[in-house]
Amino acid sequence: MVVERRSLIIDEREAASWIRDGMTIAIGGFINSSHPMAIVRQIIRRGVRDLTVIGPASGGLDLDLLIGAGCVRKLVTAYMGGEHYCPVAPMFRAAVERGELQVWECDEGMYYCALRAAAQRLPFTPWKAGIGTSFPDVNPEIKVFTDPIKGEPLLAVPAIRPDIALIYAAHADPYGNVQHIGTGFGDRALWRAADRTIVQVERIIPNEEVRKNPLATSLYGVDAIVRAPYGSHPFAAPGYYIEDAAHLREYVAAATAYAKHGDRGPFEAYLRKYVLEPETHADYLEVIGIKRLISLHEY
Amino acid sequence: MTRAYAQDFTTKELIAAFIAHQVRDGERVAVGAGLHVPRAGILLAHLLYCPNVRLYIVMTFTNLLKEPRMEPFYTVTDFRPAKWAEAYVLHDDFQENPRLVSNMFVVGALQIDPYGNSNLIGVGRDYHRLSFRGPGAVGTTSMAHYVDRYYLYVQSHDRRIFVEKCDFISTIGWGEGGPDGRRRLGLPDNGPIYCITPLCIMDFEPRTKRMRLKSVHPGVTVDDVVRNTGFELIIPDVVPETEPPTVEELRVLRERIDVEGMLRT
Repeated sequence: MVVERRSLIIDEREAASWIRDGMTIAIGGFINSSHPMAIVRQIIRRGVRDLTVIGPASGGLDLDLLIGAGCVRKLVTAYMGGEHYCPVAPMFRAAVERGELQVWECDEGMYYCALRAAAQRLPFTPWKAGIGTSFPDVNPEIKVFTDPIKGEPLLAVPAIRPDIALIYAAHADPYGNVQHIGTGFGDRALWRAADRTIVQVERIIPNEEVRKNPLATSLYGVDAIVRAPYGSHPFAAPGYYIEDAAHLREYVAAATAYAKHGDRGPFEAYLRKYVLEPETHADYLEVIGIKRLISLHEY
Repeated sequence: MTRAYAQDFTTKELIAAFIAHQVRDGERVAVGAGLHVPRAGILLAHLLYCPNVRLYIVMTFTNLLKEPRMEPFYTVTDFRPAKWAEAYVLHDDFQENPRLVSNMFVVGALQIDPYGNSNLIGVGRDYHRLSFRGPGAVGTTSMAHYVDRYYLYVQSHDRRIFVEKCDFISTIGWGEGGPDGRRRLGLPDNGPIYCITPLCIMDFEPRTKRMRLKSVHPGVTVDDVVRNTGFELIIPDVVPETEPPTVEELRVLRERIDVEGMLRT
């Protein structure tokens, strides 16, 4: 009998079918870079609801789109904005101010505490920063307790365990060996904490390529690989393309019409044009257009 | 030796020079992307006075002493300046690795109270009915806790920012004040050093830890500051003007750091 190693490659439609209503999912990257957008847009197309979404330590407009599309019940992140594109993410701001979105309020340190506890299978991580602040008041899951060693007050930041982590990286082989270009931000923390991990990549590389430099393997043993060229668009992909500034401005203008003036029309039009009407990631890339995509080179 | 001060400079350039004087050689210093003025100030310190600073910039660590000029970049994830990298910052290493913690750090705010407690969460009495939802604390709570020195920095100075009491506190300052305000909370004594605004520099009076006017920028009066501050500031008998940038500082700022002129607008 010939035994073959199993390929873990699936497409974005199958990946999104793993996500069900009410799950806790994590989405990697950092603000304007490295989000698994082919999967994110497919989650919206499927109309998944009531998700608890763990963003990166600092979240960006990928999460804002999910919130605007009505997929998110609760959000875990320490920042929601687009840096110079917008100081506060518009649909996030609108949903919170209207009481439609719960926020698990934390700073980046507390955020990593929650993931670390999950990875260590511990109920909480102790943390000192945040004593004297409002965090234990506005996030009652974070408790103040007395350190049994020194007798000083500490925060207990409870574990948050993602059912599935969705991560964007540059490369993977078919067997779940993943190589980021650049730092990988906090993606490793999501991978360590999650029950299962799906990684969307720019390119599939041969296993031999991975074996040339195993030190570059940032994640391994992941559960599925999705190949999606330009798959972080409109956000940046280190080593491949910078963020699509014009597209992000278009999104911000559409979302701001709702956040500031209560006009949902432009956001709905954005959603239809870029998410609901294209049936697949390839269809999305056709909507964006090849000229725009290849203009997003590094320099 | 008398210093040759520049004559013609903007308030942003003045503040960048002030921030440059807060950096010490050999330190680790995070350079944010979004706050252009502190970023320029830290780079100025590095190029002129602190050759051994280890810069934490776009998720890398590096030293830029020999770079003829800084390429423009706008986001913390812009990987183009990462061509300078000596090492990557693994962001999730924060808990494990004290080398990720800066020695000095700049904290922004939506609201600041007389004791330098600050808020990035949002504005409104009821957390569940915020009138303005802010961006969130980012890493300010933890970074300000672990650094040696931190500075509050805001891009406008008005009564909406400087309030008697913050609606929420995301980064603790000097707590409820007094000489042991932080120790009473079980915290080390590394509260904010200065609060830097477009009008003035403020410090904290050592006994009460209340905010005190330290200097006003050229063209600003003490009354301007008082009128735009929503709590009672301590005003010393003599309030000097903020020290201007030197000719050399301004030249390095304009020719090597702020090539695009963002600080000149």
